Amino acid sequence: MENMIYILYICMFVPLLLSLPLMQKSSRGIMIFILIGISAALFISEVNGIFLQLLGYNSLFVTTTVTPATEEIIKGIPILIYAFVITDNREKLLASSFALGIGFALFENTFILVNSVESVSIGWAVIRGFSTALMHGICTVAVGYGMSFVKKKKKLFYCGTFSLLMMAIIYHGIFNMLVQSEQLKYLGFVLPAATYIPVIIILVLNAKNKKKSAGKNLKKKTNKEQIN
Amino acid sequence: MYLIANIIVCVCALTGFIYGVIKFFRPRQALYAQMITLSLGCITFGRLFNIVRLMTGGDLTSGFQLGFLGMVGSLMFFFSANYGTVDSLLDDRTKAFRKYRLIAFAAPAAVMIVYVLLFLLGDSSLLWIILGAVLSLFALPASYFNLKHLIFPDVDFGVVKCLRPYNLLALIYTVVIIIECFAMSRDNEILTLVCCCITALIAVTVIPLIVRGIKKWRT
Repeated sequence: MENMIYILYICMFVPLLLSLPLMQKSSRGIMIFILIGISAALFISEVNGIFLQLLGYNSLFVTTTVTPATEEIIKGIPILIYAFVITDNREKLLASSFALGIGFALFENTFILVNSVESVSIGWAVIRGFSTALMHGICTVAVGYGMSFVKKKKKLFYCGTFSLLMMAIIYHGIFNMLVQSEQLKYLGFVLPAATYIPVIIILVLNAKNKKKSAGKNLKKKTNKEQIN
Repeated sequence: MYLIANIIVCVCALTGFIYGVIKFFRPRQALYAQMITLSLGCITFGRLFNIVRLMTGGDLTSGFQLGFLGMVGSLMFFFSANYGTVDSLLDDRTKAFRKYRLIAFAAPAAVMIVYVLLFLLGDSSLLWIILGAVLSLFALPASYFNLKHLIFPDVDFGVVKCLRPYNLLALIYTVVIIIECFAMSRDNEILTLVCCCITALIAVTVIPLIVRGIKKWRT
């Protein structure tokens, strides 16, 4: 069906949009970014279609060289606007970036599912669900991290965000290339998890260290007060 | 040969990257060191892309590929480490340091000369002239600040002296990747391997140098 992508978009976007007023403020922010991610995926599908046409329908070249760049740039734009206009709070930016990436992956996965409905399986869904969602989430978070310097350190923001964008594009390219190859596709499925798990471990350890040092400071304060 | 060369760089850069993450990605650690760690991450990803491309039947010399962005990204991180975090601490824009600011332009000038000699005066294809130009464009500001911080006098903080070895290595890296780009444009596998070995050596030594530099600076 010719308009399948728009039908899918409406079917996903409208119910989620209608749920917004019922949500609490913090959840609403995340949902808005999921919706933006879905919309970005629709927009990129059009852009990538144009590139595919321009490059003579060489889908391997387009998916390993062009789409990583277009997708990461377009996913980064809403985060950039958010960082500039609303807040540059790092925690909020990272959560929003991840939500945008997840929304993007959600739409992409659904579209691929509809297009290849005869060849998919539960295994495909599990692998695709974990790998693509994490990959898009991680790439957008990397760019979002750079954007958290937008107001604090402008010098770092310009170059840092650009460099992180480069990194995200390469990472995306590696993933696309791996999942399309016959021999190495399983490495592609593992790659996002292999990146996600160490990052989570570092974040948890840092949070624990912060708590520990905060506790120590509190103890010192109370001791001082008791002495006084 | 390209595969071996890229594997050598990837393994060394990954080692440096992991060491850097363990050392510097903690609260209250120098942002400067984090930037350099991320530049090693960029090198790792770029080389990993090249490896995957070669292993999946592609090649690196026939056209543009994303692994090239790893070089560009690493230069940008080197630049932002110096320009974004340390430079404003050292250089107060007074006339006293004007001499050093001017001398530092020798590095971008050298990069330009290398580019002109290798790419423009040779018979490189248009693709490689453009790729060389892009790489040189990003190498210009990075090399400027690397040389500047290499020659800048240590006035207040004592940080410049401690980070000199890193800046020297970063400067060598900048020149080496331009030569590597040239070697790839000529399909010269031996020169590429030599450049990759130098890059690998730099990648594996840069973080220990930063760790030592920061330790010295704090003590």
